[in-house]
Amino acid sequence: MKKPGLTFYKSAAVVLILIFVGLQISSPDIENQPVTSEIAVPANVKKILERACYDCHSNEAKVEWFDKIAPASFVVAHDVNEARSRFNFSEWDRNPAGVQELLLWEMVNAIEQGKMPLKRYQLAHPGGKVSESELAVLKKYVNTLPGRHKVDTSRIVAQTSVNHKASSQKTPVSLNGIPYSSDYKNWKIISVTDKLDGGSMRIVYGNDIMVKAIEKRELPFPDGARIVKVVWGKQAEDNDGNVLPGNFQNAQFMIKDSKKYSATEGWGFAKFDGLDLKPAGKTILFEQTCANCHRLLAPENDFVFNIPTK
Amino acid sequence: MKSTISLYIIVLALLMLSCDERNTATLAPEYLYNAGDQKVIKSIINNKKGTIAMLYGNDLALETAHDSLSKPNIGAHYTLVTWKQKPMPQWYGTNMNGEIYSIEHLKIVQRNETRFAFDYDFQTGKAYQPSDDRPEKQQRIEFITSQQAAVFP
Ligand code: HEC
Ligand code: HEC
Repeated sequence: MKKPGLTFYKSAAVVLILIFVGLQISSPDIENQPVTSEIAVPANVKKILERACYDCHSNEAKVEWFDKIAPASFVVAHDVNEARSRFNFSEWDRNPAGVQELLLWEMVNAIEQGKMPLKRYQLAHPGGKVSESELAVLKKYVNTLPGRHKVDTSRIVAQTSVNHKASSQKTPVSLNGIPYSSDYKNWKIISVTDKLDGGSMRIVYGNDIMVKAIEKRELPFPDGARIVKVVWGKQAEDNDGNVLPGNFQNAQFMIKDSKKYSATEGWGFAKFDGLDLKPAGKTILFEQTCANCHRLLAPENDFVFNIPTK
Repeated sequence: MKSTISLYIIVLALLMLSCDERNTATLAPEYLYNAGDQKVIKSIINNKKGTIAMLYGNDLALETAHDSLSKPNIGAHYTLVTWKQKPMPQWYGTNMNGEIYSIEHLKIVQRNETRFAFDYDFQTGKAYQPSDDRPEKQQRIEFITSQQAAVFP
């Protein structure tokens, strides 16, 4: 076979250079919108977030020269846009107070599990990693948030008002079509928890398919598996140290159907709030917020936190 | 040149492999408890003891727990399963049930025409240490029968 001549290499080089230059011209810019409501946290906490997270999750991104060179710039732009859409430290007030707290706990968990900052960012920015002692500072901080020691002191309400009940006889249906159903009351318990962030206690039920899968140590869980988590507030601790459930807060469903719910890792998510069982979320996008957190932190468990593991 | 390219490819491949750290969890079905036909009355946390528990009951027990009848229902059966708490592996901020610590059964039985009796039984689980105190029977009976059921929708 004839070896390619010098002209071949030359023209190949020219084509490559043209592609490279073309990429630079179409290369996306990272634009920083104004800071409207920056997160208010103690200075030692802020310092960590600024150094390790602000380049993606804020409007104060400091883009290095090498981040601006295509094709890297495409990856960087994608990461920053995606990161800002999840939460933005410069527009922090867009999250309701409860969500702000939950996000802070999620951040601690994302760092603890080595998921954040993103690996590819850590490779390019050696100073980006969050150290053990910095993680300890963040943990200490989230434990001072108001939800951490929340006690349910209000009178326990056992039923919705009679009028209301009559008008809400219809089965509540989540925006993604999942109806509320009380079948779970006949299922087995797969987990019992004390959630410190937000102050609640939970019982998690699994249907037969789910429980059998756990017994057979089958992961990922098969289609037809169903999980229901029932959430209550916590009453004040008594003298013997017992903490009992207060008011009912919500019930959360996860239904496995790998085809139907392929956009949310094979699980259909639904949440019903209060004794009226009002379906949570304003638009169907709500299910993405559920899946985002489960996807980030529990991929090893088929996206389920509450399973008995060694 | 060629060898640098292949080296580059190998490094890239290794990088991609190392990014996919998706090891699967080891399930521990031995932490589950099968309460048979009994239904949930409520869960109980005890941070002084580092335990978390589930109180189950049959229909008669559930009835008492809902109405807080002063007189126990003869025929009521309760099961109180207590686990040691452990931190949830994937979420710093939640404690969950780990290994089973104890299983308590309580039956309210008819002794004669007018009187009833309590049939109480304490079983230890794997997490129970021989040096741990056994609970005081009368106290436990009072504790179990005085529990109000959690509110469900
Ligand atoms: C290189 C850009 C980048 C940096 C730096 C970065 N993140 Fe992210 N973050 C992302 C992207 C992109 C996502 C969307 C999920 C994904 O693609 O993995 C995300 C998602 C998250 C989420 C999940 C939010 C949700 O929707 O549930 C959390 C929590 C998070 N980041 C925390 C942090 C913390 C804390 C830091 C700093 C220690 C940090 N991130 C630094 C890019 C980044
Ligand atoms: C910020 C992270 C986060 C978001 C957002 C989130 N979850 Fe979860 N979810 C968790 C954690 C952590 C647990 C386990 C802790 C617990 O239950 O106390 C959990 C547990 C559950 C469980 C019990 C099964 C399991 O995986 O352990 C269900 C069901 C559930 N979530 C449904 C939902 C639904 C529905 C939504 C959206 C409306 C949602 N989750 C949003 C973090 C999240």
